[in-house]
Amino acid sequence: MTALPVLAIGLLVLNFAPTYYTFLALGAFVNLIVVVGLQVFMGNSNIANLGHSAFVGLGAYGVAILSTPLAMKKLSIPHAPFGFATLELDPVSSALIALLVIGIVALVSGKVISRLSGVAATIVSLALLIIVHSVFINWTNLFKGNQAFFGIPKVVGLPWMLVFAVLAIVAARLFKDSRWGLQLRASAQSPQAAAALGIDAKKLRLMSWVLSALICGLAGVLYAYFAGTISPKLFYFQMIFNTLAMLILGGMATVTGAVTGVIVLSIGLEFIRSIESGVTVAGIQMPQLLGLSGVALGVVIVLCMAFRPSGISGRHELDELLSLLLRRSAK
Amino acid sequence: MDYALQQLLNALAFGAEYSLVALGLAVVFSIMGLVNFAHGEIIGVSAYSVFLAAALGLTSPFVAVLLAVGMAALAAVVFERVAFRPVRYAPTTTGLLTAFGVSIVVQNLFMLLISPKPQSVSILNGLNQMWFFGPFAVSSLQVMELIVSGLTILALVLFLNRSTLGLAIRAAARDFATVRLMGIKANRVIATAFAISGALAGIAAVFILARRGSVSPDLGFGLVLKAFVACVIGGFGSLPGAAVGGMLLGFIEVGLLVALPQEYAGFRDALTYAIIVALLVYRPEGLLGQRIELGDKEI
Repeated sequence: MTALPVLAIGLLVLNFAPTYYTFLALGAFVNLIVVVGLQVFMGNSNIANLGHSAFVGLGAYGVAILSTPLAMKKLSIPHAPFGFATLELDPVSSALIALLVIGIVALVSGKVISRLSGVAATIVSLALLIIVHSVFINWTNLFKGNQAFFGIPKVVGLPWMLVFAVLAIVAARLFKDSRWGLQLRASAQSPQAAAALGIDAKKLRLMSWVLSALICGLAGVLYAYFAGTISPKLFYFQMIFNTLAMLILGGMATVTGAVTGVIVLSIGLEFIRSIESGVTVAGIQMPQLLGLSGVALGVVIVLCMAFRPSGISGRHELDELLSLLLRRSAK
Repeated sequence: MDYALQQLLNALAFGAEYSLVALGLAVVFSIMGLVNFAHGEIIGVSAYSVFLAAALGLTSPFVAVLLAVGMAALAAVVFERVAFRPVRYAPTTTGLLTAFGVSIVVQNLFMLLISPKPQSVSILNGLNQMWFFGPFAVSSLQVMELIVSGLTILALVLFLNRSTLGLAIRAAARDFATVRLMGIKANRVIATAFAISGALAGIAAVFILARRGSVSPDLGFGLVLKAFVACVIGGFGSLPGAAVGGMLLGFIEVGLLVALPQEYAGFRDALTYAIIVALLVYRPEGLLGQRIELGDKEI
């Protein structure tokens, strides 16, 4: 039910929009999957996670290393260790292996993070991002360092993207309403009461961390497969800023919130970007305003936190709201 | 021997700088539970105001130092008034995200209003010279960093232990409600805490400017990330913990710098963070942190 508006927009873009918008929509869908992944951890455990784009990056680089055609690899990473330079897998098995690696990384990092209390966990998630980013930049034989990694097969178009976005939304929703999701949200609200009822909050946090990492990783895989070119700075603070603002604006307690935030901010940001690059208003050429979108993102976060900490959508999912409304009108 | 001494001084100087910034974070966190991601931008405001003053014709380094510290304290108080007061009673995550938002806004304002590119500031370069003690050559900046940080921390300790307001701040870290019942104004305590935190950041900004000789929009951000890590190792919210954590971080970094071969030097940050995460596995509450009873304060 939550996925319906996404499906509708996706189909609309698929059928009617010109290519430029299709490209934008693909980017927005990647963000959507990332934000949904982020919601799985942040929304349920109420711990801010500032490291999720590390997993997006791992996903993208994972498939880049595994599935790039050999001819391209000779150009880009001829000295890759472990025989990766002479390895070429099909996109599907590359994606599966990349996700497996992400799962392992998430499991290890999650072991640490789930033991820490809120603030320390956030800082460690940041540390994770910096570790991963610095490995991307410095292990030039394998990741090409600061340069763009190109030549990844472009196998994902809008229809597949749509399918996976819907799948991610469904997974996030199922997790939230599952026994574990409910228990985790309970333990986030009152750790002691939850512990008294025999809820193992650490195990649940670990579980949601891994699921969140996998969804973010999937987004990375899809991004690599549609863009064909990736570079480390894509998966650094800029992505964190964007996706975090989307989740907060929409409301992090619900999957609906995640979806709403992405839709609103994607459109808003695109509008601001067109101003940023300098527009002509009433015959006067405005100067380039670099950084405007950043200011807008930050202002959105601050205002949202001050005036409506629960975001646009509040506590209820879209379908829950609808059924509430229906019941009220029936009375 | 010479080399070892040089590296020891390096470690102490780095550690002192991290300690200063980490203390600023800890002062604010211990009182109002705010994880101030915008601390780096306080450093940024301070550095940019020196840049602007220099551009407008300021030449005296002494005035520049005063300006840097004063502007940082002012910026911290203004941030509190504008952005953090509305979320004062909100959960930690809300405050953290607000601070993150403030940090993005200010960084991008530097970009928008001044320039995304680094701008050179040469007014404080005079602080960075080589001093010769017999056979030893030491950087004056590192010595000053060490001495000034030491004095600042001493002053902070005296203030917190001897003055009424300092006592109120320490008490507020334990139980704010009771402090207010004693007739102390909450706004004053919090504003003072922010001013202290800002002044500490301003001192750090002076050293950064003297060392780099330039300003860029993300100037304080990286440093503050490290200071956060220092706070986490020391135990979040503990003031001695922040100082110790900062020193430890300085030693780990310089130790890795010495130990790692040149071709792996890029992995220094990654390894530093990995070591720290490993430390946290054994002491999840930090070296000097205590397990906090969750009933007293929402974490």
